[in-house]
Amino acid sequence: MAYAYLFKYIIIGDTGVGKSCLLLQFTDKRFQPVHDLTIGVEFGARMITIDGKQIKLQIWDTAGQEAFRSITRSYYRGAAGALLVYDITRRDTFNHLTTWLEDARQHSNSNMVIMLIGNKSDLESRREVKKEEGEAFAREHGLVFMETSAKTAANVEEAFINTAKEIYEKIQEGVFDINNEANGIKIGPQHSNAGAGGAGGAGAGGAPPGGCC
Amino acid sequence: MPSSDSEDFESADEGHSSPNKKERKKRLSSSNYSDNLELDHEPQKFQDQHSTTLKESTKKQANPEDGWDDFDIDEEATETVTEQKESHTSKQESTAKTGPTQSGWDDFGEWGDSKVNEESQDTMKHQKQEVSQPVTDHPAPQPKSEGWGWGWGVDSLLSTATAGISNLTTQVSQGISTVLETGIGAPDPEELARISVKNNDSKPKSAESEEIENTEAKSDQNVNDGAFQFGSLFSGVTKFVETTGTKVIAGGLDTLETIGKKTMEVLQDGDPGLAKKRAMLGLDSGDKLVLSQVLREAKAKADEEDLMREAKREAKEVHYETLFDDFEGLVHLEALEMLSKQVSMRIDERLRNAAPDKRHDIKETLQQVAELCEMPEEEDDEEEQEEISEDTSKPDAFHERLQRATRDIGLKLQFQPLIKQYTEILTWFEETETDIAGKAIYKRAVSGLAQTTALCVELYHKTAEMLLVKNRRSTADEADALTQMTVVLTRHISDLATQFTEKLSGHPSESKEQINGYITNVFLEAGNSSKYIENAFQLTLPIIQIGAV
Repeated sequence: MAYAYLFKYIIIGDTGVGKSCLLLQFTDKRFQPVHDLTIGVEFGARMITIDGKQIKLQIWDTAGQEAFRSITRSYYRGAAGALLVYDITRRDTFNHLTTWLEDARQHSNSNMVIMLIGNKSDLESRREVKKEEGEAFAREHGLVFMETSAKTAANVEEAFINTAKEIYEKIQEGVFDINNEANGIKIGPQHSNAGAGGAGGAGAGGAPPGGCC
Repeated sequence: MPSSDSEDFESADEGHSSPNKKERKKRLSSSNYSDNLELDHEPQKFQDQHSTTLKESTKKQANPEDGWDDFDIDEEATETVTEQKESHTSKQESTAKTGPTQSGWDDFGEWGDSKVNEESQDTMKHQKQEVSQPVTDHPAPQPKSEGWGWGWGVDSLLSTATAGISNLTTQVSQGISTVLETGIGAPDPEELARISVKNNDSKPKSAESEEIENTEAKSDQNVNDGAFQFGSLFSGVTKFVETTGTKVIAGGLDTLETIGKKTMEVLQDGDPGLAKKRAMLGLDSGDKLVLSQVLREAKAKADEEDLMREAKREAKEVHYETLFDDFEGLVHLEALEMLSKQVSMRIDERLRNAAPDKRHDIKETLQQVAELCEMPEEEDDEEEQEEISEDTSKPDAFHERLQRATRDIGLKLQFQPLIKQYTEILTWFEETETDIAGKAIYKRAVSGLAQTTALCVELYHKTAEMLLVKNRRSTADEADALTQMTVVLTRHISDLATQFTEKLSGHPSESKEQINGYITNVFLEAGNSSKYIENAFQLTLPIIQIGAV
């Protein structure tokens, strides 16, 4: 598939908070209540459009289990965005956010956009973490915040796409060096070809092939 | 005073007088001195006293510079006066710079000349008195905040009673302050203008350059300055409004221009020269004549594009690397690489931290593990293949071999995706027995190889991850198992390639050349696949090694 940019995402957070379900809902638009435990990292990809440009989101869905912690840490590098997920029905998953955040900040590039996600918002009756608490945590640590439900698909699209938008803005602002793949951004094959021919033609000439492929 | 006096004064004006100014002057001179005598407000008295003194001193010494001498020998509070005067001058200077009445400077450029006479002095006095008038109308307005104005007035007037011409400055400036105090909200423009004139008036008297320098340095610290800051504030405001106005207009024009440009850009986006939009709006004259032509051209172009697209799409469809990426092979390889690098670093760290004698042991162990993982020669395990019964289906046999190869690894590896994919390929072979295009077989071959390879790489990646979290490591077994697995997988790839090429060569209808080209490519991609698999295995090596050190 042709794309203008590829963004690498990582999904992190305690085991059982619904990371893989969020990914499945985003890539396949379905919900699977029973899920195998993720080993190491699994992948998902989806094409989205921002500002008329095709962007491939390549999502690294990491294992939440403590045992895999040292492994998953080595995958943080080169991520442009991160979804830090907790379960609103389990306070301990919220309490562990600081550790996850420290991990993420330590092992990834400093420009990485981090979106905090309180998942399972459909289970209102079992809620243990107030939305305000999530908001406060996000504010305190400079994250974007959203409550989602992988089951009902509420806010799932938004979570992934808003993160991409923020990354895209950072690219426009020149914060991200798109030629440095350590930033988790790759330029699509078609894009680089057109770019070599002439940047002027890339806008008009590069668009039609993107639409057809 | 007769108005002719002021006219005389005007004549000393070097021709700078504007009608505006003339009118102002007339107004000033029309105010009667005697009016002010009736005012018995105390500051006013002082002012009067001042002006008298002033007049006298000027009469005595026609040269205003003598006034400075007076000032110098002033008995009391010289310093305060100086300071006050200095601050005045600074204000006057700033006002003079900006005010519309700059010609006022010239009025007094010759003030110190012999031309200066009593009449002009009188005019000055009148001006001053006019300015002071409002004060008497509203005695001590807003005493709390503005009281200092008065206090200062009294002080300075007392202290500068004999200060000669410099007093005039004080007077005039105080006049400003009082005007400002009374009409603080919206001073009469005329009044303001007059103030400016006065400021300028007093300027030349203190025009000694040194004095001005001091003035500038000290001007902002004096509390008493407050009133005069209003003066400069107003001129400042005027200037500010002027410049802001200019900026706003200029900025507004810029913005409009930007919007216009942007609009054109948007309009022309994908439509250079606005050709399409013009055509759509019927703006181009005579476009009806060429409409059919345009449509024909457009259709031809579209057809051409379609062809190109089709070619591109097909090229893409049989592009091995792209397919490998689409089947997530690349990302697994990338992840495995990251893991491998990380573990290699950990091994290096262990080596560095180890005692020298131990270091040698570790190096030896690492070497041994690497040797264990060397790929065996092709013929080595022919006999193993024999053991699997001929009756089992091909996918099952493949599964069997994989399980046998990895039975000692101590992990539950997932081979299902590979088996499933193999089954699919075999099914495809069966279902597409008859007249299928050679190209279709080729496409399927490349895609099948790419997918198989991607699944193999994923297998190595998963195995590596599981090994890293395994509780008890058995390096030798792991090394052996993975080596065997690699053999099985690479053999599987070549097996697949063979089956596809057989299918291709058995194809009757197409040109031999074309078919041979496909066959060559399939073997080429199979070699590619084997390389990916062996590469993945090599990346797993440090993960096996770290279990031993």
